[in-house]
Amino acid sequence: MTASHSRSFGYNLLDEVKNGSVKFLKKGVLLFFLVFVISLILGRYFFIPWNMSEVEKAILVDVRLPRILIVSLSGASLGLAGVTFQNLFRNYLAGPGILGVTSGSAFGAAVAILLFPINYLIQGFSFIFGLISVFLSYSLGKKLGSTVLSLVLAGMVISAFFSALLGLVKYLADPYNKLPTIVFWLLGSFTGVRWSDLMLALVPMLLGITGMLCLRWIYNVLSAGDEEAKALGVDVRKYRTLSILLATLATSAVTSVAGIITWIGVVAPHVARLMVGSDNRRLVPMTAMVGALLLLVCDDLARILTASELPLSVVTNIVGAPVLFAILVRKKGVLYAKD
Amino acid sequence: MLRIENIHFSYNGIVEVLKGINLEQKCGVGCILGPNGAGKSTLLKTIVGILQPKRGKIFFKGRDLTNLKLKERAKLISYVPQEFSLSFPYTVFETVLVGRHPHLNTIFGPTREDEEIVIKYLNMLNLEGLKEKPFVQLSSGQKRLVLIARGLAQEGELMVLDEPTSFLDFKNSLLALSVVENISRKLGKMAILSLHDPNLALLFCDTVFLMKDGTIIDSGKPEEVINSCNMKKLFDLETEEVMIPRGKYIIPDKNSLQHFFE
Repeated sequence: MTASHSRSFGYNLLDEVKNGSVKFLKKGVLLFFLVFVISLILGRYFFIPWNMSEVEKAILVDVRLPRILIVSLSGASLGLAGVTFQNLFRNYLAGPGILGVTSGSAFGAAVAILLFPINYLIQGFSFIFGLISVFLSYSLGKKLGSTVLSLVLAGMVISAFFSALLGLVKYLADPYNKLPTIVFWLLGSFTGVRWSDLMLALVPMLLGITGMLCLRWIYNVLSAGDEEAKALGVDVRKYRTLSILLATLATSAVTSVAGIITWIGVVAPHVARLMVGSDNRRLVPMTAMVGALLLLVCDDLARILTASELPLSVVTNIVGAPVLFAILVRKKGVLYAKD
Repeated sequence: MLRIENIHFSYNGIVEVLKGINLEQKCGVGCILGPNGAGKSTLLKTIVGILQPKRGKIFFKGRDLTNLKLKERAKLISYVPQEFSLSFPYTVFETVLVGRHPHLNTIFGPTREDEEIVIKYLNMLNLEGLKEKPFVQLSSGQKRLVLIARGLAQEGELMVLDEPTSFLDFKNSLLALSVVENISRKLGKMAILSLHDPNLALLFCDTVFLMKDGTIIDSGKPEEVINSCNMKKLFDLETEEVMIPRGKYIIPDKNSLQHFFE
């Protein structure tokens, strides 16, 4: 993208931009597989791949492989949900939680931890309450007039409501036993994820990821604004509802497995945008790639930095914030320039 | 031919913005002339389908637009908005490419062919040198041309332009309207646009509709309809008609605004 600015004319310029993006995407895929393999080897037990005992094989297949798979899918889901909401709300700062999905999930999980502390129920409650909170935001937004602004405002109201309920649950929870579990869950972690967890979350995640990848062209039209999109023949309400549904399915599934993971959904689209530009035909797949890559790296760090695992959101925040800042400083004025 | 029959519209259900609009335009460039707040943009948006009229029918080439699906309608009618704020730094090329949407498969998006069509229209408006530039960095005049290019890429048979001269300087206003006039002549497309400068309407339009308070008060050829009497009705302003070799010119009388300060 940047290289093409210096040469300014000629028909093949478009191809150049496109090829540049394809190169980025190819590099991204390669890097992703590299990190994927390294992640398999890294950890408390360090394997030499060509010389493994039975126990090591079991750890690799039953513990690390499902974990790394779900981390990759979660990263892609969060990145895609972020880029979806950024396009719908025409705002760089929108993230997956803008319609209250994370607050709802957090409340659901906390209630389950308090009342029915079984793994499946915690997952189920979190998932369902994530969906409920977005449904409430959406219905409330519709009452307020079904514009982008009314949706954002409704999202704020619902988020605040569930945050308050979460506070109440925390207050009621036994401070020696339940409260630490809730707090740790809220900080996010993929510790102890097995194949069975992957299976539960796989359907909504894959549905969300595939759906959002398919909608990438329509995001270009939707991000032009409601009236423009309508004038171009897009049923705005239909596609907006569909996008929100897909993003929510994916995000709820992630949250139900891993708790709350901050930053990835906001950072991944920014990083991808700086690499391939704003055109969603390239941006959306690139965001999925970057999201998966970032979350894998963060999860690796969470696993290996200390003897006991660090909470994931601590790592995503510590890594994500400076990474984003560094990129923005380096690319200052190239892509974010306004009038 | 564009025919509008008895269109009523209201934003809040109480105050009617369009109070039974009837108009008929056979060909060429049509212009809705009127003061701010007359309902010009609202009328254009009901033609495009952005707003649904409460009552009434809109026909274009014999087809009832109000019964058409959005996508079918978008193939017939290109829309060039008044203001356009892009949220992300899409390039000029990407901005114009979005205009192809009505002709596209929603999942697969534009093809090579669509990209070539976009290049064709960018060349037509001398914009090819800007195609990799972010739209948000353009000047107002360039932005307007890019939006017209997007309307062209949409390839509707009727172009609807909402105040194509707003925010533009003296020359760029003329340029934008010349482009519309040329497109209409060369490609045989119909265009309908809104203006509030009677002199620009006299220069560029084939048909003029005078609009005030949600109704059409007069319509016809510009040199017949645009006269001191109608300007008084429309803008509540005294004007003088001057005949110059190329036609008529309207000169406003500044002193007729004195009552505003008393």
